[in-house]
Amino acid sequence: MNERYDIAIVGTGPAGLSAAINGKIRNKNVILFGNKQLSNKLVKAPKINNYLGYPNVTGEELKEAFVNHIEDMEIDIVQERINAIYAMGDFFSLMVNDKAYEAKTVIIATGMEFTKPLKGEEEFLGRGVGYCATCDAPLYKGKKVTIVGYNKEAEEEANFVSELASKLYYIPMYKGNYNLNTNVEIIKDRPLEIIGGSMVNKIRLNKVELDTDGVFILKDSISPGQLVPGLELENEHIKVDRNMITNIEGCFAAGDCTGKPYQYLKAAGEGQVAALNAVAYIDSKK
Amino acid sequence: MAREIKDNVFKQEVLNSDKTVVVDFWAAWCGPCRMLAPVIDELSEELKGKAEFVKVNVDENPVTSNQFRVASIPTLLVFKNGKVVETLVGFRPKQALKMAIEKHV
Repeated sequence: MNERYDIAIVGTGPAGLSAAINGKIRNKNVILFGNKQLSNKLVKAPKINNYLGYPNVTGEELKEAFVNHIEDMEIDIVQERINAIYAMGDFFSLMVNDKAYEAKTVIIATGMEFTKPLKGEEEFLGRGVGYCATCDAPLYKGKKVTIVGYNKEAEEEANFVSELASKLYYIPMYKGNYNLNTNVEIIKDRPLEIIGGSMVNKIRLNKVELDTDGVFILKDSISPGQLVPGLELENEHIKVDRNMITNIEGCFAAGDCTGKPYQYLKAAGEGQVAALNAVAYIDSKK
Repeated sequence: MAREIKDNVFKQEVLNSDKTVVVDFWAAWCGPCRMLAPVIDELSEELKGKAEFVKVNVDENPVTSNQFRVASIPTLLVFKNGKVVETLVGFRPKQALKMAIEKHV
């Protein structure tokens, strides 16, 4: 864990994979985060006709070709979820719960699979809205808290917070059996808006309004701006120049997360440009 | 290095200071706060003589934390002449923090 990688790549779609092979070809020490399925979007594609060299390929076939390629180059996929990436100055800390990986450069290739923020969510961030219930829970001792949970993991956080809060509402955004403490009130309704003055005081749902001092939104995929604090965005996409450099030195981005068109070949091309520029950046620091 | 200060001296150290004071509200259980700590220490060296840097542990100093309505940590408050002139919630890269603070020195 104390090893400092040359390039950390977050995402296993075409952008991330193309970045990984190019980093590896240049003899850099690369770590690739994502999942063995590579990309939901890719696997679901029935037919692809615009990937040069692969006429009439299915998403599944293209995925197999990608897997063979990275296996051939001995690139492993680390199946860990990166919660946050901190720019520390001359390196980056990539957080996985309590663990941290360190890298000299980072390439963000996370695609565009995050849900839109609720109305009022961004406005009240830090004034009652948060994305890490376990981090901020002690600030809500004896207060009313609402958790909007998008996955099973959110239930654990809800149980922890319920021990401190005077009241905890849990709004599940998924179907299933909820494993929650008895004092947690489950509200099966759709959240619409977070309301308040200088601080949050209500959350409006489709059927009801709840009085609440805090709202925690616990999602599967977070927007790049939350993933990398301080990253500059432009209409939901990461702002990059022709070299795929973001506003943070040493942090690059590639693929759908940088903007339209959302295409496989464009993503792979951007991943390549990002990797080569990450290599150049590392070499310039020697 | 940013100094630790407590509720009882906050007024004298921060509000009555004739310098720009940056207050880092933190707690031991907060991951991003731990990441921010070395960045704050570096900035306190780089901005020596221009701005003072102090830390307030929200667990031990509820009075100050409530007074300034700290609802998410880390929160950095920049004080000038006893007033908050800048609020920075969450982790930020060093350069971004430096730019935000330098506006007030």
